[in-house]
Amino acid sequence: MRKSSKLFAILSTAMFVTALGTAPCYAEEVTINFWHHYSEQSAENETLNNVLIPEFEKENPDIKVNAVSHEWSDLHEKILISAKSETLPDVARLDSAWVPEFEKMGILVPLNQEMDDYQEVADGLLESAMSTAQIGQDTYGLALNTNTKILFYNVKAFEDAGLLAPTTMDEFIEDCKKLAGENENGQQIWGYDEPALAGWNLCPFIWSMGGSITNEDQTKATGYLNSTETVNAIQTLADLYKEGAITGWNSGDIPMTDGFGTGRYAMIMDGPWKISEMEGSYPDFEYATAPMPEGEGGSHSVLGGEDISMFNTANKDAAWKFMKFMTGEFAQEEMAKCSQIPVNKATLESDTVKNADFAPFIEAIKSAESRPTVSCWSEIDSELATAVSAVMNEEKSAQDAMDELAEKVDDLLAEE
Amino acid sequence: MKISKKAAYKGIIYLILTLGLIIVVLPMIYMLSTALKPNGALYEYPPRFFPKIKEITLENFQYILRQKKFGNNFINSIFVSTVTVAIAAVVAAAMAFCIARFRFLGRKFLFTFIMLTMIIPGTTLIVPQYELAVKLKVINKLSGLIPFYVAWVIPYSTFMIKGFVENIPRELDEATYIDGGSVFTVFFQIILPLTKPGIASVSIFNFLTAWEEFPWANTVINDDLKRTLPIAISGFFGQHQFTQWGYVFALSVLSLIPILVVFISCQRFFIEGLTAGSVKG
Amino acid sequence: MKTKKSQNIQIGFLLLPGILIFGFFTIYPIVKLFITSFFKWDFGSMFDQEFIGFANYKEVLTDSYFHLAFSNSIVYTLITVPAQMILGLLIAMLINNINKFSISYRVAYYLPVITSWVIASLVFKYVFNTEGLLNYFLTKVIHLTSGNIHWLDSRWGGMSVAMLLGTWKGIGWNMVVFLAALQTVPRDLYESAALDGAGSIAKFFYVTIPSIKGTILFALVMLTIGGFNVFTSIKMITDGNPGHKTESVLTWMYYKAFSTGEFGYSAALSFIIAVVLGILAIVQFRMMDHSKLD
Repeated sequence: MRKSSKLFAILSTAMFVTALGTAPCYAEEVTINFWHHYSEQSAENETLNNVLIPEFEKENPDIKVNAVSHEWSDLHEKILISAKSETLPDVARLDSAWVPEFEKMGILVPLNQEMDDYQEVADGLLESAMSTAQIGQDTYGLALNTNTKILFYNVKAFEDAGLLAPTTMDEFIEDCKKLAGENENGQQIWGYDEPALAGWNLCPFIWSMGGSITNEDQTKATGYLNSTETVNAIQTLADLYKEGAITGWNSGDIPMTDGFGTGRYAMIMDGPWKISEMEGSYPDFEYATAPMPEGEGGSHSVLGGEDISMFNTANKDAAWKFMKFMTGEFAQEEMAKCSQIPVNKATLESDTVKNADFAPFIEAIKSAESRPTVSCWSEIDSELATAVSAVMNEEKSAQDAMDELAEKVDDLLAEE
Repeated sequence: MKISKKAAYKGIIYLILTLGLIIVVLPMIYMLSTALKPNGALYEYPPRFFPKIKEITLENFQYILRQKKFGNNFINSIFVSTVTVAIAAVVAAAMAFCIARFRFLGRKFLFTFIMLTMIIPGTTLIVPQYELAVKLKVINKLSGLIPFYVAWVIPYSTFMIKGFVENIPRELDEATYIDGGSVFTVFFQIILPLTKPGIASVSIFNFLTAWEEFPWANTVINDDLKRTLPIAISGFFGQHQFTQWGYVFALSVLSLIPILVVFISCQRFFIEGLTAGSVKG
Repeated sequence: MKTKKSQNIQIGFLLLPGILIFGFFTIYPIVKLFITSFFKWDFGSMFDQEFIGFANYKEVLTDSYFHLAFSNSIVYTLITVPAQMILGLLIAMLINNINKFSISYRVAYYLPVITSWVIASLVFKYVFNTEGLLNYFLTKVIHLTSGNIHWLDSRWGGMSVAMLLGTWKGIGWNMVVFLAALQTVPRDLYESAALDGAGSIAKFFYVTIPSIKGTILFALVMLTIGGFNVFTSIKMITDGNPGHKTESVLTWMYYKAFSTGEFGYSAALSFIIAVVLGILAIVQFRMMDHSKLD
């Protein structure tokens, strides 16, 4: 009897010890994969890898974060491919323009349905930014940062030409022509650089000159994408290109930052990250910023910004923790130090933000518009670039190209 | 008189060869010289072919060597290329031996198929191969590269080694069989040693193929640390961002070193190998 | 009898790994590619693929982007193949005539071959940049042109750079192959030709060319395949820009598959290319067989 009770005691102790031993197993280390498009050489990427992830891993010792940097267009491609092969990461930083597309593919988690404390988290973030992740009644991501583009100009070039920063579209066009020419080495100078011909690049011009991509309901492009105003915007850019006043989207052109920093492009339009980029590469270069010039349609820059989303194959608990961390005050403030405009309401009130050099961007966001929030946007975007590139190379008139494009986009929108 | 004419003729040959050579190696030298320039001098005016002597700097190389991940990329490339070469050599030599020496069912069919797949550009198979890699759960793994590379180089390797096997007199095989040797004995003791130059030359070629392969590795691998060198190099290259050419070319120069070592130390085999294969047709 | 059986087992054992790897990683994907090409298969319909017969083929064959890419690939092949062969043969003949430094020349001319496509493409992109060294040289040093040439910004500009790169990279391989062939041409053929009063040009056409015919055809087959295989250089140098005008068949296939997700379209395209190359190669191999009989 005694023997057996002893045995029992031993057994139960053993079981208890085993249970203790296995207890940490529940908290077994998980690794979550986080894909993003902070450029590999950027300050944001440094902050992410050297400040944020270590801090997160310290707070959550059982979670490891494997962050992977992709180039912007590669990230889109990689997510499509991985969706097909069920090798998606747990969390990704997505261009908000992609959210509808990925939602349609059914790979994003509706956070408001699956996360208990969703509302609490969402309330801490800017509503306007959060709306980029909302489709129908559900929300498929947390706003991570917001941005828009404003005009950067070369102070010395403007002084030498006796010009002030352009405030209207007409002034902008005139300035481009005036600033273009040759420098003392006989190298060509352009008034303005536009590094690509996608929606992100063209929309500010189209909108500010009174044009549009689709109707309000985003169901039709004919009459909008080929309206007189839109065609006029494209034609204006094509004329400037023909005169040698603007350039940038060609494969052989000088990259934007280098061209601006070496005085070859007098103006560029870009987001807040340009500030730290210029500081890193051309610290002595003197530039200033101005809002998007005002045209018939007003002054409308393009609303950018990223959401952080969770894929349905994710380790949801760990992923959600990481998402909350990234949108939390600490991470948002650290990222604000490298020119990422925060969306966390508390961070926006902090001194870091008040003293930040992205104040003009916050102002510009108020009048910025977002690109069509449709799932076929990537396709529309690439068709737009192809069509406008044909106009630039004088293969088609702006009217013909936009007429054809509008028809294609109508078909794409009809499939929505 | 006659001798001087001949000397002049030789002189012209050397002149043409040297001129051609300069044109051919010019891009390589420009790459090296760019890697030695400070990053800020890349958009200098006037552009220089050679950096100014006092400007020469190793800062680009130092930057690359400081980044741990490039070390990883380097090791990945070495690993993938070496394993590919080793597997391909054995497998292809065995196939080449059987096809050259024995008549078995489907031999002709097999050989025709091998020849036909040599014709199809590898990249066309990228979609179904990608699906296969997904099913095998080798996405984002180095093991997702190796078997595909081996399959890729098998046709050419088999075809070339077969030419070498056919050059070995059959009498050697037969003598071994009479002495009681098996097929294995012949393969390991006669064929493998005697086709060594062929295998070596094919292996250099295979090493190069795996070392520089881009589209497949770019599709399959995601993580920085798992990338091979070509992907790491292209990763520097954001089209409309700013490209740090100094870093790009410093890494390129470093990635050329192993292949140069392999090539120069084995170039004798290489040229012999191509000779045998191509002359046999 | 018993030895025969064990011999067969051993042969099977030697063949097995090769057949398995080859079958699994090459043959199976080819079959799969063929099947995929008859299905509607894109990101939208990822989970319900629908059999659509030849619709993908029809779409490819009527797609003006494909026509453009296909003609780019044809032009690329038609120009780079002869260019590499002629230059390679020329250099091989020159090296064949010298004794000193012949190995050094061989190694140096072979350098571009062992330089990876990614690196070579980046170097060419850097040199041919609108603001690059070459334009500076042309406009400011030798004053050949008055303004910078936009090498990379037009269809034929971009294609020319890719073709130049292809030729530059291929000369070395041709040189080695032809050098090997030249060394097998019996000396006495030249001597008897000289006795008949043949000059260098006549010797080249009546002795050299016929003697290395097999090698020429071998190179032709390999280079034609290589020409249609052009991918990395175009992807790195122009990425198909401007407006998909510099795509090759393979970069276009890749774009359709991985950027727009139209796997069915890509599969059909791949199969068309494979068939075209298959036919070309069979024709060329036939020629090779005939030349052997001669």
